[in-house]
Amino acid sequence: MASALTVSLAGCSNGSHASDQVIVTGSTTIQPIAEVAKEGFERAHPGVRILVSGVGSSAGIENVIAGTADIGTSSRDLKGDELHAGLVDTPIAYDAIAVIVNPSNPVDGLTKAQVKAIFEGRITNWKQVGGPDMEIGLVNRDEASGTREAFFKIVLDKERFDPTAVVLPGTGQVRSVVAQAPSAIGYISLGFVTPEVKALAIDGVEPSEEAVVNGRYPISRVLHFLTRGEPTGLVKEFIDYVLSPEVQEDVVRDAGFIPVTAKDAHQ
Amino acid sequence: MSETQTSSAPRELKLMSRSTYLKEAALKNLFMLCATMAVAGVVLIFLFVGWRGWPVFSEVGLKGFLGGSEWLPTQGLFGILPLLVGSLVVTLGALALGAPLAVGTAVFLSEIAPPRVRSVVRPAVELLAGVPSVVFGFFGLLVVRPIVADLTGGLGFGPLTAWLILAIMIVPTIATLTEDALGSVPDGIREASYAMGATTWQTIWRVLLPAAKIGIIDAVILGMGRAIGETMAVLMVVGNAPVFFRGIGKPVSTLTSQIVMDMPYASGVHRTALFGLAIILFLISMGLVGLVRGLSRLREGTR
Repeated sequence: MASALTVSLAGCSNGSHASDQVIVTGSTTIQPIAEVAKEGFERAHPGVRILVSGVGSSAGIENVIAGTADIGTSSRDLKGDELHAGLVDTPIAYDAIAVIVNPSNPVDGLTKAQVKAIFEGRITNWKQVGGPDMEIGLVNRDEASGTREAFFKIVLDKERFDPTAVVLPGTGQVRSVVAQAPSAIGYISLGFVTPEVKALAIDGVEPSEEAVVNGRYPISRVLHFLTRGEPTGLVKEFIDYVLSPEVQEDVVRDAGFIPVTAKDAHQ
Repeated sequence: MSETQTSSAPRELKLMSRSTYLKEAALKNLFMLCATMAVAGVVLIFLFVGWRGWPVFSEVGLKGFLGGSEWLPTQGLFGILPLLVGSLVVTLGALALGAPLAVGTAVFLSEIAPPRVRSVVRPAVELLAGVPSVVFGFFGLLVVRPIVADLTGGLGFGPLTAWLILAIMIVPTIATLTEDALGSVPDGIREASYAMGATTWQTIWRVLLPAAKIGIIDAVILGMGRAIGETMAVLMVVGNAPVFFRGIGKPVSTLTSQIVMDMPYASGVHRTALFGLAIILFLISMGLVGLVRGLSRLREGTR
């Protein structure tokens, strides 16, 4: 279905409508940002159509290299041949995941390797990581979650999650359970951390906006807009709109991400 | 049966005006249409689920689907045994807790409660049936789960929490039907029992419950249908880990909750497998309804 859509969209972009529409395809993580930005942009530019689809980062990169998309969105960095395909990378946001525990838990930090072992089910008691003698209560997200996907790639290195973990279908539920249960550990987007839970330092780095934009906090990634060559015309206008404070401060933050504009504030 | 005969009799005698006759005929057809819609709904849903889910038996295979012990969609494993076991454990436990509670409520309402108490308890039980299941789920997640966590260790997600919530959710279904069954026991039997010098308890335990037995079993089976099909409340408290039952305080998953968890992102074989789960649920429901029909026939036979 998705591929059929991309093909038909590709047909459009090569035709006469190319001038008044922009095709944005790729990462499902970025899709919500792109969708909301599309609405605002179309309202400000009557007659212009932004076509947004979520087909995964790799497909997005492939499409923009092939010229079937104007903007490829990706939640991972370029690699291998992709680096030499003449793509211009515009970071549009940072995505950081906080590992959260109950505020009563004396553990303040873990290494990334410890977090990995905990979520694989190899470490099962808090005393193995310097905490009290208490069984670890693992809280995982459902497979439809973009946060789980990011955590799976960044922390677990695509090793298998402990299948006996509790699976909850929402950030809010993970947070409220961790806030209530002394033995629980879970993960949520950094933007959704509240004082009712404690975000752990990873490899000695406290999760903060500053640590993320400086690239020191290890469980984070950059969300990219990729174009073939420097963006021009409508494509450039759309990217500028996404980078404008209107989208960055409202849309990006509401989605639990950290705006790229935060980088200036911390430098 | 006898009612339809009496209602059609006046027409044959031509004792009604033409307009009344037309109105009657229109109403008859309207009601028939209503009944047909319900049947068509069931048939269409069954055909749709069957059509979308049937390929699972060729794509995953009967053995891999019904006999598989691992549900790992991302690795192409679609074994439903852990989910089936989870559903059965959750349902049977809920029945074990909820059925005595509900039958007790019904006995109280039907045999013991004075009218004034009954006028408070019965609406309360009926109100329970109207509480949305997501509300039960929230109650379970925020109130029952921490208590279970203290009892069993761990996080409190698992069968025990689901049992406690479901036990309350199935009370209205079982209590209402059991009360009907007790009400249909002829008063003569009660009077005979008391006349023999039996106490209230002896009358209830030795006479009324046995007399209403089949009706009560009916009620429990329908309660079971409610429990096995419940999705939202179970999803929120059961933990949703697609592994075999390992203890009352450890997360498991059920057929219904797995369908909801996976549906948003499933595609291809995975989606087909979810429809396969729906087929299994449908067959279980059909089996339960068939059982109830069979028992009702048995009850009519004994009378």
